Amino acid sequence: MTQFVLATVLGLLFALGTFLVLRRDVVRVVWGVTIVSQSANVYLVTMGGLEGLAPVGHGHGGGGTAVSDPLVQALVLTAIVIGFGTSALALVLTYRVYQEHGTIDVYELGGDQ
Amino acid sequence: MSTTVIAPLLVALCTAILTLLTRPNLRLLQGVSLLGAVAYLGAVAALFDRVVGGETLVYQVGDWAAPFGITLVGDALAAFMLGLAAIVSVGVLAHAVLYVDDFGQRLSFHPLYHFMMVGVSGSFLTGDIFNLFVWFEVMLMSSYVLVLFYGGKQHTRAALNYVVLNLLGSAVMLVAIGGIYATTGTLNMADLARRLADPAAYDVNVLPVLGLAAVLFSVFALKAGLVPFQFWVPAAYRAAPAPVTAMLAGVVKKVGVYAVVRLYFTIFAAASLPRALSLPGLAGDSALDFFGPVLFLMAAASVLFGGVGAVGRDDLDSVLAYSSISQVGFIVLPLAVAATVPSVRILGVTACLVYAFNHGLAKSLLFLVAGTVRESVGSTDFADLGGVAGRSPVLSAAFFVGALSLVGVPPLSGFFGKFLVFDVAARAFATGAAGAAATLAVALLGAVLTIAYYTRAWNAAFWGEPSERVEEFLGDDGSVVPDGGQSTAEAALSLGGMVVVLVAFAVAVVAFGIGFDVLYGAAEAAARAAVDTGGYVDAVAPAEVVE
Repeated sequence: MTQFVLATVLGLLFALGTFLVLRRDVVRVVWGVTIVSQSANVYLVTMGGLEGLAPVGHGHGGGGTAVSDPLVQALVLTAIVIGFGTSALALVLTYRVYQEHGTIDVYELGGDQ
Repeated sequence: MSTTVIAPLLVALCTAILTLLTRPNLRLLQGVSLLGAVAYLGAVAALFDRVVGGETLVYQVGDWAAPFGITLVGDALAAFMLGLAAIVSVGVLAHAVLYVDDFGQRLSFHPLYHFMMVGVSGSFLTGDIFNLFVWFEVMLMSSYVLVLFYGGKQHTRAALNYVVLNLLGSAVMLVAIGGIYATTGTLNMADLARRLADPAAYDVNVLPVLGLAAVLFSVFALKAGLVPFQFWVPAAYRAAPAPVTAMLAGVVKKVGVYAVVRLYFTIFAAASLPRALSLPGLAGDSALDFFGPVLFLMAAASVLFGGVGAVGRDDLDSVLAYSSISQVGFIVLPLAVAATVPSVRILGVTACLVYAFNHGLAKSLLFLVAGTVRESVGSTDFADLGGVAGRSPVLSAAFFVGALSLVGVPPLSGFFGKFLVFDVAARAFATGAAGAAATLAVALLGAVLTIAYYTRAWNAAFWGEPSERVEEFLGDDGSVVPDGGQSTAEAALSLGGMVVVLVAFAVAVVAFGIGFDVLYGAAEAAARAAVDTGGYVDAVAPAEVVE
């Protein structure tokens, strides 16, 4: 059941991210990129399997005796840190674009030589 | 365990940190930075010397055995690519010290440059696909800021495109890597190859891996700037400072090409497709047979799109940017043949690597010439230029050598690159392989286009009578007239220094052509390492995981 819920949520997140990336407003584009990369992170966590015991701390969690995969969580931590840095850069860049061009509409940016 | 493998990484990282610490003193900063680039070349040479005979050195980070820890692998292929990066980097940095303004150098140029080199070296050395993602990000983060370096109108717009595209690319790469981990249960490349070679024993379903590998391929194509992922290239190359553009075109693009060679020819080649799979253009049952037609279509489209685009541009920077789309097509074209025709596989990969090396040298040289022209004349528009050869013959000669090398005139190194591409296509044609005739036709058309756009650029910018602007800024004796701020003597000295660097690049292009044996030997050793999946797996020797 959890798989289906997560699969649906992931699909919606990717769709929302793609929708936002295709907007004219640069801030929305940056939001879209952030949502897409965060949904990639959620996707990564689900790839490790959702069931199993916590790998540290004596058998927390439920669903079987096997320990759930800690590797994907390490991967996601790395990806989150990288995503944090790039999102910050993208937002600063957006502000700089506004300073330089006086607009954050991508159509106007394209015409502004 | 061998620390020779991580030496290039450590040298680049230490240099980056030292350049951060020495920021108050500009001369010291420049000295440290240049010394770091030379030390990097030394570290790469040491690695190259160890592995060129076919040995594969492995470094397990933290002494965690593969596949549990991160593995760094130094083999002939990695060493070849590192060699390209190191040679180009020394020259580009020497030019940058003279070209980039003092404020920019003091602010952030040198640390960013060396962090980019850290990312590049890591990508070449890693033996773990998630680690590859991390090194890509290290490289990209620095390159974002370097593209944005001047922060003007045109630069912010180009950087916005570049950043958004690459962030989306990173997300896609993460999805592909996560999927590969979920289907195969490993991130270690050697372990991945072993599991794909024997899917039944490890309970791996090959078909999803094939699809995910294709998703991953789109990311590498984006990095390499292959059609249809080429649209960020011209704007980003025009926006970045000339030395950065030289690095982006000469080295960073090659990381995408390297990733294709390493992952598809060494790792995914181990997979065999189910007999029942039927796709258009799919001839055999190897995973490479699936990627061959894809590589061919993208390479052919790049050669033609870049070539036609370059012919129609009206400024030197744009011609070079479109040309580099076309040339990357030429680099990937022999890979397409190598993927489809097993009998020329090693030769095809060799051709790709030789071409990549030559393009790295020659295109960096050309971008640096364009930068030097912009610095001295203040423009690279063909409308403003003309007759530079009469005023500054040495600078123009450097451009001439670089352009001739990319056109493919013997004895320059570019001749052998082009020759090998045609050789591979002709040999494939002789075996009666499907599509070999089309490959030959595309290569021929691409070569003609290359001649056309470089002739046009040469005639418009360097040949003929000096334009008004050139007369105004370049004196009769080649001396430069400063545009305010700098004294004449300083400007002339700085321009003279840049020209010396360009001459060194041009000499290297000639030298690698005359001493081609050395380059070919290294490229062939690299190609043998690239297709030797068994040797790669044995060297890394990932432990068996008990489920």
